[in-house]
Amino acid sequence: MKNNYTLKSLATLLENNKISSKELTSEYLKNIESGKELNCYNTVSKEKALIDAEKSDERRKSQNLRSKFDGIPIGIKDLFCTKGVTTTASSKILSNFVPNYESTVTQKCDDAGLISLGKLNCDEFAMGSTNKTSFFGPVNNPWKSVNSNNKLVPGGSSGGSAAAVSGDLCVASLGTDTGGSIRQPASFTGTVGLKPSYGRVSRWGIVAFASSLDQAGPITKTVEDAAIFLDIISGHDEKDSTSSVNPKENYYENLNPDIKGMKIGIPKEFRSDKLPASTQKSWDECADLLKINGAEILDISLPHTMSALPAYYIIAPAEASSNLARYDGVRYGLRVKGNDLIDMYEKTRSEGFGDEVKRRILIGTYVLSSGYYDAYYIKAQKIRSLIKSDYVEAFKKVDAILTPSTPSTAFEIANEPSDPVQNYLNDIFTVPVNLAGLPGISIPFANDENNLPIGLQLITNSFEEQKLLNVARNIEETINYSETPEKWWLK
Amino acid sequence: MEFDKKSLLKLGKLARISISEDKLNNLSKDLNSILEFVDQLKEINTDQVDPTSNSLNQALEVRDDKVDNQNSTEDVLENAPEKEMDFFVVPKVIE
Amino acid sequence: MVAQMIEGWNLVIGIEIHAQVNSKSKLFSSSPTDFGSKPNSQVSLIDAAMPGMLPVINKFCIEQAVKSGIGLNAKINKKSIFDRKNYFYQDLPQGYQISQYKDPIVGEGFVEIETENGQKKIGVERLHLEQDAGKSLHDQDPNFTFVDLNRSGIALMEIVSKPDMSSPEEAVEYVRKVRSILRYLGTCDGNMEQGSLRADVNVSVNKPGNELGTRCEIKNLNSFKFIHAAIVYEAKRQIKLIEQGESVNQETRLFNTQSGETRSMRSKEDAHDYRYFPDPDLLPLTLDDDWIKGLQDSIPELPDQIKERFINEYSLSSYDANIIVSDKATSEYFEDVVKNRNPKLVTTWVTGELFSILNKKNLIIEDSPITSKQLGELVDNIENGKISNRQAKEVLEEMCESGKGALEIIDEKGLSQISDENEIESLVDNVLNSNPKNVKKYKNGKEKLFGFFVGEAMKLSKGKANPKIVNDLIKKKLSQ
Repeated sequence: MKNNYTLKSLATLLENNKISSKELTSEYLKNIESGKELNCYNTVSKEKALIDAEKSDERRKSQNLRSKFDGIPIGIKDLFCTKGVTTTASSKILSNFVPNYESTVTQKCDDAGLISLGKLNCDEFAMGSTNKTSFFGPVNNPWKSVNSNNKLVPGGSSGGSAAAVSGDLCVASLGTDTGGSIRQPASFTGTVGLKPSYGRVSRWGIVAFASSLDQAGPITKTVEDAAIFLDIISGHDEKDSTSSVNPKENYYENLNPDIKGMKIGIPKEFRSDKLPASTQKSWDECADLLKINGAEILDISLPHTMSALPAYYIIAPAEASSNLARYDGVRYGLRVKGNDLIDMYEKTRSEGFGDEVKRRILIGTYVLSSGYYDAYYIKAQKIRSLIKSDYVEAFKKVDAILTPSTPSTAFEIANEPSDPVQNYLNDIFTVPVNLAGLPGISIPFANDENNLPIGLQLITNSFEEQKLLNVARNIEETINYSETPEKWWLK
Repeated sequence: MEFDKKSLLKLGKLARISISEDKLNNLSKDLNSILEFVDQLKEINTDQVDPTSNSLNQALEVRDDKVDNQNSTEDVLENAPEKEMDFFVVPKVIE
Repeated sequence: MVAQMIEGWNLVIGIEIHAQVNSKSKLFSSSPTDFGSKPNSQVSLIDAAMPGMLPVINKFCIEQAVKSGIGLNAKINKKSIFDRKNYFYQDLPQGYQISQYKDPIVGEGFVEIETENGQKKIGVERLHLEQDAGKSLHDQDPNFTFVDLNRSGIALMEIVSKPDMSSPEEAVEYVRKVRSILRYLGTCDGNMEQGSLRADVNVSVNKPGNELGTRCEIKNLNSFKFIHAAIVYEAKRQIKLIEQGESVNQETRLFNTQSGETRSMRSKEDAHDYRYFPDPDLLPLTLDDDWIKGLQDSIPELPDQIKERFINEYSLSSYDANIIVSDKATSEYFEDVVKNRNPKLVTTWVTGELFSILNKKNLIIEDSPITSKQLGELVDNIENGKISNRQAKEVLEEMCESGKGALEIIDEKGLSQISDENEIESLVDNVLNSNPKNVKKYKNGKEKLFGFFVGEAMKLSKGKANPKIVNDLIKKKLSQ
């Protein structure tokens, strides 16, 4: 089965009664069933999805729709707390956790009539860039190299979210992005991944990784869909003290691909000899294309780019070490019996967390501990100021910045480096955006010599999502990227 | 080498994560590699720079002092691994 | 007594007071703060630290902290930061307490206390807002500890003093004073029995001229009596250790209210590394000048000011004024009674008879069986000579039992004082005529007999005669 479904096209099909929500939901549930090998879903809410779809069809009949997109099934990263549906963060420690509350973002999806197909696999507590740290096993990338039959990583941490969209196990999905966790897997799977400005989307009810960096966003097939989805999930939330009071815009309605007169910056610090030639080529071509479409291309400098990743690997683990302290076996989640309270804590957390999570908790604990706080944590926060001011300066000169999304295309699961630092490098282009709190989007631009998608990243100033989507839409419209993976898992 | 076995075990205590003997070597190797990576920041002069702990430039929002007791005792205790008489239960603690 | 025990030693005492903000809902959640509710019935998902829950600060609590800061003559910080204090404990659901570390909402201030040697200024280091922890019950089961999170997340103001106190009495006075200020402000109800106000006391001892000793912290003292007793015990313990050539360990100790002893707290044994860092879920708290000014203008008259006014306006002694203003309700009661009345008489009746009745009945002044209006009426009748002091006591007691007004009781008991000079003169004549010998002795210089004549006259009048007129008349007659 090959479909060209998007949020936009499905809304039309539903509107014209070409398909019912129940039929659509059944179709996706079938895809999920036949796509089991991709390991995208931790939980499939089959019954609930079908009931919800029926209800949506009834609303449509009685012309009582919640939105134009009422009845469209989506997937949800297993980091969003969903009432009555197991929410695990892909961790053993939460593997039995059923929240009795609904995150703001998934509530907004429900308010728009979207149907949840289930909870998507991800790296444990969103810590990883290959989806290998999941307690439920790695997700497989729907894409394979033309030169090999080996399985590839989908990227991470929102690997299930990206792979599911790419492999048609849902039309769009929710992800979260702390250092690239939406954009990097989107890049690896030929999908569109949008990380909104910090504060644009509520964090309430999302299992926290690094509170000052976490931001939820959509993974979709098109830039138009990204705009539609952002419309649904964004906005101020009084339950989140870090939610922006800036009024939200109508991103889809105002989507305007005209970029004439815009200035696009190409940061020299993102250039590297190590960048694959095909990625460099796509980057150059995209810049040329924007120029042809009326934008001015400027070389810019973001001098502290190379310090972003090490700063991130201090700040994110520091916050995580504290955010994950609540998983102690007392009020919910896994409890491993111990001789006394401390023994219980230590056993629960040792058995409940995977290796990468433990590494980050330990590093985070270390950089906050007495004697190291100033040298590491404060130092990193100062670097963060420098990075932020790099972008402030850049956006005085340009409207948007164009970079590659990732330093490589998807690689083989078996080839994942054993040194954690080598893995961290996957996020080198995406991390600065989180540190500065900016919106960023990864869009597929072309496929490389192995027929693997190459993603490019656009960045704008804070709360300029509209401009970001406009430029991305301009590229999308121009190149009309329409590659889809061979569905090897169906054979 | 910042992390030897002893300092690693101490760190594990602080983070309430027990570390088994057979994992100590690999873990200290990994953590030292990470530490070495982040240590490159030491070369950057930040003397005149203020730290940023949150990039959002906004005043802290406040709420009114209103009571909204929407969660019942059952809700709160629903996921508890061990509970009794509306209490969470943990192994005996001696103060 | 204490001074003797520790003679030759200096005591250095610093106190951290935890005062519960008088708010309806918690610091970062909308759960109620009522005392004594069923276990885990006032717990929100935020208080239980469920995954993905986020704190939103209570505006009222910020206001109360700033008001308290103003009451403590302290600097209000226009920018303050909420930090996480990280440690694991069964009653700390988040695995960290949201508190303020480097940038508290209130900076340095002071309070003045009365000591044996007059006024003393005790420095306040800071006041910050923080979350309370839950409650652990250790004695419900031999093998398990039970955890109740009702208290978890309630707003506390931690008020940290400088180590400026040098005796248990000063320490108690300091806590009393801070409590009184908070109660005047209405920012904390000061109920120590319910734990709304508790003190951690840091004690060290040293020989004069020597450097400061190692301090121990005694946690969670919830009465003035315990604060006093814990300091005395701890000082003695430390002195004994040093005199035996041993050293004092810096540690946290618990006070056993039964035995009156302190002991090392086992669960706090391993040295803590709290890893404070700014809470990334909360942005810096900023206060603007106009807002602070508005709060300043709303601050009621505080005990020090009222005391000064009472001294000036009513000529009270510093001692009496201090007693009256130490409690807001008492000073309000006093002011009600003293209006247009003789301040000296009112002071005597409030601090004397009324207090002794309240003490006997174990009542606070808010629950006094005698209203300020009733006491005023009583004082009026003393003042206008209708009843004597002794009679007034009788009236007061009756008032306390029946709740009737002073005049009503006086009429009923026929207590009205005889002030008619002619009537008293005939009484006096009667006494002098019946005791010619004594009159002679008196006139020969035995002036002590004066009281005898007065007593006889009063006896004759069944206590009703106005003693002043009796006195005057006897003096007049004897000098004739």
